[in-house]
Amino acid sequence: MIVGQQKPIEEIKKMVKPYKKLLILGCGTCVKTCFAGGEDETAALASALRMTFKIDGQSVEISQQTVERQCENEFIQEAAKKIGDNEAVLSMACGAGVQAIARRFPKSPVYPALNTTFLGVQESQGVFTEECLGCGNCGLGVFGAICPVTRCSKKLLNGPCGGSQKGKCEVNPETECAWQLIIDRLTALGQLNNLRTYIPPKNWKTSHSGGPRKLVREDHIL
Amino acid sequence: MGKTFKAKITLFHCINAFTERQSLSSDHVDVKVVKMPCSGMVSEVFLLKAFEAGADAVTILVCPEGACRYMEGNIRARKRMEKTQSVLDEIGVKGKRLTMHHVNATDPSAVERIVSGILGDLEELGPNPAAL
Ligand code: SF4
Ligand code: SF4
Repeated sequence: MIVGQQKPIEEIKKMVKPYKKLLILGCGTCVKTCFAGGEDETAALASALRMTFKIDGQSVEISQQTVERQCENEFIQEAAKKIGDNEAVLSMACGAGVQAIARRFPKSPVYPALNTTFLGVQESQGVFTEECLGCGNCGLGVFGAICPVTRCSKKLLNGPCGGSQKGKCEVNPETECAWQLIIDRLTALGQLNNLRTYIPPKNWKTSHSGGPRKLVREDHIL
Repeated sequence: MGKTFKAKITLFHCINAFTERQSLSSDHVDVKVVKMPCSGMVSEVFLLKAFEAGADAVTILVCPEGACRYMEGNIRARKRMEKTQSVLDEIGVKGKRLTMHHVNATDPSAVERIVSGILGDLEELGPNPAAL
């Protein structure tokens, strides 16, 4: 899922200051799962903003809606009426969702309520970890399904740096050493030999470093 | 600041911690009671909405530590309260208006003492600025 967290309320207030009628638009998929932009968080932010604007003596009409996914036109469509009825949209989705709304509604100003942080998983209740950088050329098959591109602080592809201690990364001892995890897992799977294959320097062209990416599926285009 | 207003308090409680036998409201205070099967059900949005609806103070009554029938409901309630307190501070309502108390169902007068303690705090805090 895409993991994000809400921006400070002060920053949000500055962005939406010019508007008197505001729609807070939640997203019921990734950002709901990371407790940042689902229905509950949308209602909580709406309530907090109504109160803080009232204290400031600013009269702002705030409404809220949550769609299943803000990154898909089919679901965005459900919010069309409310978007049209409001002066601006404060989106609780990831950056992709915010831009999907902007693309679909050229006349509506759209602002991000979240900082989109990473592609990750919920490791345990309330703890989210980054797992994938979307490099565009996945090597997980070699690494026992543990990504050194994302989870090794130095992005090393041919084994550990030698600085890890007790399984923790020397760059940040709060982080597991990805290479320790890879070696432990490959050992358990009897696949340690995978590491005999030399991995050449990564070609980052397939990643964001090659510029904005686009994926075209001819078989789904009419 | 002396209290010159009739305070409104919203009291969320776990049904195992407290049973409302008689109204807690009086000439000085309006107490709205919201009962929940477990205090762990309390969420940021319920707490904020209570303030938005006009409460000057909100309190959550939970079972004593280690006595939650659902294991960690009262711990969850505390975490949600702390998060909501920081939001209240951020928006200028003041986190101190939101409190949590461990109560034992066998001591019903404890809740009266809690309400009068909150009224004392409200003398300092004044009315909820978002409800004026
Ligand atoms: S808009 Fe973003 S957060 Fe919402 S479903 Fe799509 S990818 Fe996930
Ligand atoms: S190798 Fe690339 S695509 Fe695969 S998990 Fe790592 S960053 Fe993601």
